Amino acid sequence: MYLFSKNRYYIQFMSEENWIEVGSTDSIEEEDLIRFDHQDKTFCVYKLTDGFYATDGICTHEAVHLEDGLVMDDEIECPMHQGIFNIKSGEALSPPACEDLKTYPVKVDNDKIFIKID
Amino acid sequence: MKNNIIILGGGQAGIYAAREIRQNDSKSNIKIIGEENLLPYERPPLSKDFLLDKKNEEDLYFHSSDVLKNENIEFENVSISKVDFENKKLFADNDDVYSYDSLLISTGSENKKLSLDNNLKNDVYYLRNLEEAKKIKEIVSNKNKITIIGGGFIGLEIASSLSQLQKKVIVIEIGNQLMGRIIPKQIADLVQNTHLEHGNEIILNKQIEKITKKNGIYEILLNDNSLIKTDFLIAGIGSTPAVKLFENTNLKLDNGILTNQFCETSIKDVYAAGDVSNFYHPLYERNMRLESYQHAQNHGICAGKNIAGVKTEYTSIPWMWSDQFNLNLQLTGICNDYDEIIERGNDINSGVIYFFLKNKIIRGACGLGIAGKIGRDIRITSKLSEKNTIVDKQILSDQNQKLNKLIQK
Ligand SMILES: Cc1cc2nc3c(=O)[nH]c(=O)nc-3n(C[C@H](O)[C@H](O)[C@H](O)COP(=O)(O)OP(=O)(O)OC[C@H]3O[C@@H](n4cnc5c(N)ncnc54)[C@H](O)[C@@H]3O)c2cc1C
Ligand code: FES
Repeated sequence: MYLFSKNRYYIQFMSEENWIEVGSTDSIEEEDLIRFDHQDKTFCVYKLTDGFYATDGICTHEAVHLEDGLVMDDEIECPMHQGIFNIKSGEALSPPACEDLKTYPVKVDNDKIFIKID
Repeated sequence: MKNNIIILGGGQAGIYAAREIRQNDSKSNIKIIGEENLLPYERPPLSKDFLLDKKNEEDLYFHSSDVLKNENIEFENVSISKVDFENKKLFADNDDVYSYDSLLISTGSENKKLSLDNNLKNDVYYLRNLEEAKKIKEIVSNKNKITIIGGGFIGLEIASSLSQLQKKVIVIEIGNQLMGRIIPKQIADLVQNTHLEHGNEIILNKQIEKITKKNGIYEILLNDNSLIKTDFLIAGIGSTPAVKLFENTNLKLDNGILTNQFCETSIKDVYAAGDVSNFYHPLYERNMRLESYQHAQNHGICAGKNIAGVKTEYTSIPWMWSDQFNLNLQLTGICNDYDEIIERGNDINSGVIYFFLKNKIIRGACGLGIAGKIGRDIRITSKLSEKNTIVDKQILSDQNQKLNKLIQK
């Protein structure tokens, strides 16, 4: 019974809004990021001076985790070849990265971060 | 004022310079002259993902022809064979003459060649451009045992790729370590172990006495009298700046074209950028010549600004990478002028970095790790060395402490 209700809650939750809980707001330091894995996908969730943002967690140049990259102002720099992306728009700003990074909406509710995955 | 700006050499530095000039100057004519019949493309994948079929030709171009057309940048495929700096003219192989008001030389570098008997000259392959990469890819598909002469970056990257293609690979290096020109021995040894683990054979400290060919098989005689039999030979024994064209001119040369921190050469209105330039670096107060992707890009951009009249000093901290197997090696700053070495980490899975300090200030760092593991720390090192920050050595050596906190805002 318990399992059933939990599952139902989950399905409802997914279909209505697709907001997935990432963790608490204090789990990320300012101008830093955490990696968040959900099902078979990896995301990066960032805390910038004006709020939280989320992008795909893998560089568009090669299959490298951006969690090991450096956040500078609104930009994430890939740790492998220093390709740079704008965290808010996903725009690829510096080669060898040339394909934009996908971004995701983020909301904070009761000190918890949620990202909306399509 | 409308100027004729010519960029001689259609590689990475050339294309970045052209686009930067256009950003600052909408009027001048900008023409890139390149001897390869290809728009500017990235070379790093040639020894890696291109050989491995993970990237194809279309993936290598920096920009499409539409981008150049929109920005009114002309690209002409021709080889220049003579330069008259006094009258500001370039002469092409086909007798065409090009006049310039400003000239950027970005002719890159050329592979050093082995001195071989004439009958073997065409048997040893080198890798610098796409055409050579295509040839190597095609030929190795039906060869099994491949010998690479030279244990530098390009040779080792090819060795890594060929090993991933299930080839038996032998690397012969004359020095007592791999990548000895710029990589510290500690890191070179870790790279060597990875090659050995993947079945590649590495021979150090050996010189080639003679190569002979018998029934399609090559026999390499080494100076210890050992004999290596192989199906195919590739050499990566270093490169030299592409300056032959300027040897009998007034242009000052010394291990490349001498340039100041504004990319200006010894001749007025002539600039140089990328692999071909031996430039003055104000931070290190000395000249240096770099062969790296990031440098070609940034130096090209800086030259573009200066050509367009926006006086800009080149102060980028050197940085380069090499990818072999699943490892990513990075080097920043200078690692051969130090009085102290600090080690961070001891396992390539989480990354190993050696920092090189002089008078307590980080001058450079070299690291190796599974893809991506060392990038952030290397990048932070560049920033620290740029600002001459005196660092807390305890934080540097402790992988559990993030280096972000060392950056002063
Ligand atoms: C196989 C390979 C792998 C590499 N891997 C890495 C890596 O992993 N990481 C890294 O940081 N760097 C790497 N590099 C180095 C990097 O690619 C170079 O430093 C960079 O391409 C230099 O740019 P450039 O514009 O100075 O010269 P280039 O890109 O070499 O361009 C010079 C161009 O000028 C043309 N030219 C020369 N003479 C004439 C003439 N007389 N007339 C007309 N055209 C002329 C040449 O044909 C060439 O197209 C690699 C290089 C190679 C070859
Ligand atoms: S893997 Fe990210 S820039 Fe190359």
